[in-house]
Amino acid sequence: MKPILLQGHEWPITQIKYNGKGDLLFTVAKDPIVNVWYSVNAVWYVHADWNTKHVLTGSADNSCHLWDCETGKYFFDLRDPSQIDNNEPYVKIPCNDSKITSAIWGPQGECIIAGHKSGELNQYSAKSGKVLVNIKEHLRQINDIRLSRDMTMFVTASKDNTAKIFDSTTLEHQKTFWTERPANSAALSPNYDHVVLGGGQEAMDITTTSTRIGKFEARFFHLAFEEEFGRVKGNFGPINSFAFQPDGKSYSSGGEDGYVLFLHARHYAGHPGL
Amino acid sequence: MQDAENVAVPEAAEERAEPGQQQPAAEPPPDAGLPRPAGPGAPEAAGTEAVSEEVAAAEAGPEPQVRTEVEAASGPSKSPSPSAAEEPPGSHVEPRAPAQEEARGKQVRDERADSRAQAASEDAGGNEGSAAEAEPRALENGDADEPSFSDPEDFVDDVSEEELLGDVLKDRPQEADGIDSVIVVDNVPQVGPDRLEKLKNVIHKIFSKFGKITNDFYPEEDGKTKGYIFLEYASPAHAVDAVKNADGYKLDKQHTFRVNLFTDFDKYMTISDEWDIPEKQPFKDLGNLRYWLEEAECRDQYSVIFESGDRTSIFWNDVKDPVSIEERARWTETYVRWSPKGTYLATFHQRGIALWGGEKFKQIQRFSHQGVQLIDFSPCERYLVTFSPLMDTQDDPQAIIIWDILTGHKKRGFHCESSAHWPIFKWSHDGKFFARMTLDTLSIYETPSMGLLDKKSLKISGIKDFSWSPGGNIIAFWVPEDKDIPARVTLMQLPTRQEIRVRNLFNVVDCKLHWQKNGDYLCVKVDRTPKGTQGVVTNFEIFRMREKQVPVDVVEMKETIIAFAWEPNGSKFAVLHGEAPRISVSFYHVKNNGKIELIKMFDKQQANTIFWSPQGQFVVLAGLRSMNGALAFVDTSDCTVMNIAEHYMASDVEWDPTGRYVVTSVSWWSHKVDNAYWLWTFQGRLLQKNNKDRFCQLLWRPRPPTLLSQEQIKQIKKDLKKYSKIFEQKDRLSQSKASKELVERRRTMMEDFRKYRKMAQELYMEQKNERLELRGGVDTDELDSNVDDWEEETIEFFVTEEIIPLGNQE
Repeated sequence: MKPILLQGHEWPITQIKYNGKGDLLFTVAKDPIVNVWYSVNAVWYVHADWNTKHVLTGSADNSCHLWDCETGKYFFDLRDPSQIDNNEPYVKIPCNDSKITSAIWGPQGECIIAGHKSGELNQYSAKSGKVLVNIKEHLRQINDIRLSRDMTMFVTASKDNTAKIFDSTTLEHQKTFWTERPANSAALSPNYDHVVLGGGQEAMDITTTSTRIGKFEARFFHLAFEEEFGRVKGNFGPINSFAFQPDGKSYSSGGEDGYVLFLHARHYAGHPGL
Repeated sequence: MQDAENVAVPEAAEERAEPGQQQPAAEPPPDAGLPRPAGPGAPEAAGTEAVSEEVAAAEAGPEPQVRTEVEAASGPSKSPSPSAAEEPPGSHVEPRAPAQEEARGKQVRDERADSRAQAASEDAGGNEGSAAEAEPRALENGDADEPSFSDPEDFVDDVSEEELLGDVLKDRPQEADGIDSVIVVDNVPQVGPDRLEKLKNVIHKIFSKFGKITNDFYPEEDGKTKGYIFLEYASPAHAVDAVKNADGYKLDKQHTFRVNLFTDFDKYMTISDEWDIPEKQPFKDLGNLRYWLEEAECRDQYSVIFESGDRTSIFWNDVKDPVSIEERARWTETYVRWSPKGTYLATFHQRGIALWGGEKFKQIQRFSHQGVQLIDFSPCERYLVTFSPLMDTQDDPQAIIIWDILTGHKKRGFHCESSAHWPIFKWSHDGKFFARMTLDTLSIYETPSMGLLDKKSLKISGIKDFSWSPGGNIIAFWVPEDKDIPARVTLMQLPTRQEIRVRNLFNVVDCKLHWQKNGDYLCVKVDRTPKGTQGVVTNFEIFRMREKQVPVDVVEMKETIIAFAWEPNGSKFAVLHGEAPRISVSFYHVKNNGKIELIKMFDKQQANTIFWSPQGQFVVLAGLRSMNGALAFVDTSDCTVMNIAEHYMASDVEWDPTGRYVVTSVSWWSHKVDNAYWLWTFQGRLLQKNNKDRFCQLLWRPRPPTLLSQEQIKQIKKDLKKYSKIFEQKDRLSQSKASKELVERRRTMMEDFRKYRKMAQELYMEQKNERLELRGGVDTDELDSNVDDWEEETIEFFVTEEIIPLGNQE
């Protein structure tokens, strides 16, 4: 019941992620610091490669930076023409219909799964850039996509108040979890059949509504039954990003309030309903 | 599934206004096969084809160019009326038009045909001109080289004009002979030539008030006028005006004018003397319109509008989960209404009202009233009153229309001059009478004739408000103070118009009339400013209607009154009084001897509205909207508060017709988040939380009054123990069944999911080698698979740990 509060940011957290081993937690926010990494603009995305050698960040100034994880050494900006052969990306995927709001690599790196502002999901071939599968299960913008630990399925969090589970290969819809508020992030527990969902009243509406109806809790659902079985309060604003530690023994939530809440199993195990 | 557009503009959708001003912002989902009553211009599926055609015809109209030609050719004539819809068929006067006119019309047509030909030729023409032009020139010049294209003299055109110019002829000007502007005046004094000039002067003086008289005719016989005259006005509107106002004009004792439209003579002459028996309409079997009352579990139905009005559903209310009966997209454009006995569901459309009913909610009737906004059913469900702000015209009242629900025919139209509260027409409890109040007048109409009762309205100077008793044909109305005459409340029996009780009141600011549901009591809430005091004092004047001479008792209240409500089937009433935050509720009981007793008062209430159970005894006190949705469930038999609860930001409370359940809801019309309806038992136990996306409105389907006699009801109440045993057993059974079902459902879900996971795992294992290759032989599948490569480092950080107590969890 006593979570560890990590206060490394003064601005809303945009994304948090663990590295493959789970011994590092990356947090990025709308402030100039990437927790420990440097950036000049609001940072929206962060990703570490599988062996935690390199870290890639994406910022609001449309720049993408590559870093050495261990030393924090800055390699280069992906937009820098001198760094990429012929100044051309490996493959360009045209996407004119609806803005991509989140994307992940498929299980074996042979495809990219992208969620769109319209609620659509597309699976693009990484080689040809062609759309392999297109589905539309969500009614509104997809805010987040997270793979399961074994990468066979992924969970999407959408503005339409739901989170859904899809198969990574076929994109077949498996499960749906309903809440009353837009879901900003969702994560799959690596060792249990649990999904945790975060979100709440949209940040822009918060000042106009009472905090008690914001519903800023982390909500736990059973994967198979689609039923909610517990909630954990903690953040004072909407939760923007969620991540389970790869061993499943703890999770972190990053909120609009700028805090990262680190909860170990011993913190939330005694929680009523869990 | 919704389409992409609907998703692409969610912001726009959210900003849609409340019903009434609502415009569909997003494109509707393509729900083929469902009736889609849409706005103007959109294809009409379920609505009124007939009307749409008429409107289309009117819109198409004649070309302006053609119209000028007509006016030039046939002088003062009526231009084709755009309101063709309302004119009786055959009112276009072609058949009886004089031959001369006909000829002139033809000439116009010919000229036009010529000019068109000319235009066509000019279009086609190069330097040499077209064949049409060249040919006559050739004839004139007598040039033999040119072949002759002219028709031989005996040539008869075998192409009809319709075929040739069908599209043009369709728009040809309609004959109008100007007789619309002519009136006939009877009972004019018969005079000789010597006094004719004087008579003309008098007539002119009287009739030029209504418009310019362009022509007059005084038929004569034996040197004297015949006693009737013809006058022609510049426009038909003037003629109509003259008929309306000069008919019955008293010139002197012997002469009272009778004024008629000239066209009316023609109209009424052609009416056949024989009465045709109306054709018997085939009986339409609509099935059992009250089937829902036969439901074995005695469940009730309710309608739900959600997705900001895009979808409407009907549900069975069930303790476990609502059971959907019917769901349709765009069933209504604004909201829905049930008829008072629950037989019909009324939906609102731009073009009018549709009624639905029966097991499948088929369309039963429709009423075409463009722009309809408000409706009201008669209590007997025989008549429907509709209001539209669009349709009214001077001579054809259509703002308010009364319809016969069974036949679908319009019974009568009314103007709506004053901005009164809806319903403007109030119905008597049996639907025999309906009444409306205008300045100093109370007009009572009777059914089925829809005429004024005794052909005259009641003159009541200063009448402020009136109300029918729900238990008999008695009207209560009140009149404010006027100089020395005190304010008074009057009870009037109808149709006799006998005043059965008059009560004078002094220093009155305002009165409100509250009838008890059975009509046993009337409470007049009187706000007064007694002399010598400051501020307003409120009295409740309680009329006991069932007793001789209607005795009146008074309850004086010192505090501001927030709400008042009678117990529907009893003799208690509840009052909310005080100023926020110190609001109290008081329950009073009207005893048989007339004594009014305060049973109980609770202070510190968070409430602004009183909702009695339709069966009485139980009451919900609700603090709606600004009071955050506080709820108190009270049993007034012993005045205990059964439960205190809250439905945050609740905007509505609805009892089911049996008084077993209450629904509280947060409507999207008043609050934009957490739109949901919650179901409670009458004791205040929460049964269900039903979240619906942009939920708007829930309405219970009313039930007709019970057929059981008072004795039978008493008997049932006596044997309640016997019945409750049966019901309890039933409940237990269904509960165990439900839990069994739940377990079963979970089991299958788990199995399905396991199956899927197994498949996915297999695939994952298959890909293992590939993955190893991609990662240079490093196995990342297990967290500790590469333990050997790890180097352990111990780092010490100085961190502060902040501990936040999280408080109680929900």
